[in-house]
Amino acid sequence: MSSILSKKVHSLKFINSFQTGILALFVISTLLILVTSITLGSFNFSLQELLNDSNSLDNIVLLEIRIPRVLLAAFVGASLGLSGASLQGLFRNPLADPGLIGVSAGAALGASIVIVLGSGILPDFIFGTLILPISAIIGASLVISLLYLFTQGFGYQGITYMLLVGIAVNAFASVGIGILTYISTDSELRGLTFWTMGSFGGASWQLIIPALIIISLTMFWMIPSARKLDLLQLGEPEAYRLGVDVRKLKFKVIIASAITVGISVSLSGMIGFVGLVVPHLVRLIGGVNHNYLLPGSAFLGASLMMTADLLSRTLIQPAELPVGLITSAIGAPFFLWLIFRIRKT
Amino acid sequence: MSVETINLTWEIKSKRIVDEVSLKINQGEILTILGPNGAGKSSFLKLIAGDSTASDGEIKFDDIPLSNISIQDRSFMRSVMSQSQEIAYDFTVKEIIEMGWIDRGISDYSKDFEEAVKKISIECSVADLLEQSFNTLSGGEKRRVHFARTLIQLWRPSGSDDPRYMFLDEPTANLDILHEQKMMRLIQNKRDEGIGILLILHDLNLAAKYSDQIAIFNEGKLLEIGAPRTVLNEETLSKVYGLDMQIEESPFRINYY
Repeated sequence: MSSILSKKVHSLKFINSFQTGILALFVISTLLILVTSITLGSFNFSLQELLNDSNSLDNIVLLEIRIPRVLLAAFVGASLGLSGASLQGLFRNPLADPGLIGVSAGAALGASIVIVLGSGILPDFIFGTLILPISAIIGASLVISLLYLFTQGFGYQGITYMLLVGIAVNAFASVGIGILTYISTDSELRGLTFWTMGSFGGASWQLIIPALIIISLTMFWMIPSARKLDLLQLGEPEAYRLGVDVRKLKFKVIIASAITVGISVSLSGMIGFVGLVVPHLVRLIGGVNHNYLLPGSAFLGASLMMTADLLSRTLIQPAELPVGLITSAIGAPFFLWLIFRIRKT
Repeated sequence: MSVETINLTWEIKSKRIVDEVSLKINQGEILTILGPNGAGKSSFLKLIAGDSTASDGEIKFDDIPLSNISIQDRSFMRSVMSQSQEIAYDFTVKEIIEMGWIDRGISDYSKDFEEAVKKISIECSVADLLEQSFNTLSGGEKRRVHFARTLIQLWRPSGSDDPRYMFLDEPTANLDILHEQKMMRLIQNKRDEGIGILLILHDLNLAAKYSDQIAIFNEGKLLEIGAPRTVLNEETLSKVYGLDMQIEESPFRINYY
């Protein structure tokens, strides 16, 4: 008889020491970029000055504008990186992106509707801090419900349907946004255009604290499924035979992505290509297993997004570039390179 | 201990692709299913693997209905190998084999993990490939890697008497004759360890040589089941395959024209 004492704990991590080292580097660089992003901008801060004088205008800019903005960029980057990596795993397709299943488009449509139809009616305060994010999340949730309906509860039947529904939803959302653009007034149009290109300019503590909490919780919920995503790469039947409840896994990935992407889109607009590019870079650096890929994509996503935001704030200061413009400018050529590379192999 | 099906039926669009099949896969025995294309062999395997749900009939693992066994528990007691899908990302061969290791949380034998992977890699002649990218392998090599993964899934420390079953759909497809014979011998070794094995094969002589029991399927029905030499007779085979068959007795060999 074997006693309980003789049973040693040997929990297998399925991540090698090289990858653990890379993750540590990602964490360190994220922190360094965080500090750099906080100190640089149209106001430059030196940390020493701030420590000496805690009531200056500098201090207010830092605490009320700069820090929330940088934190929001970090969390949105992490959300997009992580959901991109999970969706690419779920669809077993390196071209999958949070935008692919239509959730970004749903969120965008939700937000556009209130920008055009609601901005005149509601006072700015309620509109900006509450209605816009909520309607974006509602848009994202509607897309998920639609996906759920069309794929019959994410049944054990392959995921082609979900991709096709995603295409349809994207098309439908661009029609919706197109109509809204057509009927919008000049000032609304300006809001709409700027917002669809993405920006972290509107960040305030009030706005981001609930978002940061929800995004963090969703990440902690998602990352333990990494090993199951590895097994899914063998195909759905194989993953099931290896003990993975494929339906549950799909549900989890979709819901987690919808929440993180929906919130990200609502707070910062449509920021393209981060969810596509980041997981690829992480794979190129250290490997494809999800125990490494998921946290790696979250941290690299945060680093890259803070860098992009820093560029958007500093390139043509005191004016600002939309951050989505910067990520797309870098991401689109990368996307083409990726397609070229896939075709070659 | 056995996997048993009772009147197992699978009907799709009022066509019975598996038609009232009752049979038993005993532990420590190799049961091979033979039959022409479309006879329902792979569909039968999908049903007992739990991939698909039967329209009628029962499947019991050691007297417990399959539907009462959780997805996780199923993965402890049976492994399945069938035609595999493309893998989108560059996993190494070692990573693919390790995917067969079912995480049972805290257990007294995960310490043997590295050793088990090494031993099985050597048995399946994939030890030299471990660090290579899986996607660069040839069809036969991929097959051997998946087979190694199937074996890792059922790996137990010596002396374990857990009931285990292996369902293999044309495991020797794409293999050269050396590796074909090696794999069949390995399957026999696993049978001797007490694993119950269901095979689907197309090569009649390979089946005759390595099986303990043979089941012949035709049009979804189980036509005959029994020892190779009784079931494999000229009359049945000619009828099922629509080909003239001739059987030589010693050594036992089936010729067809």
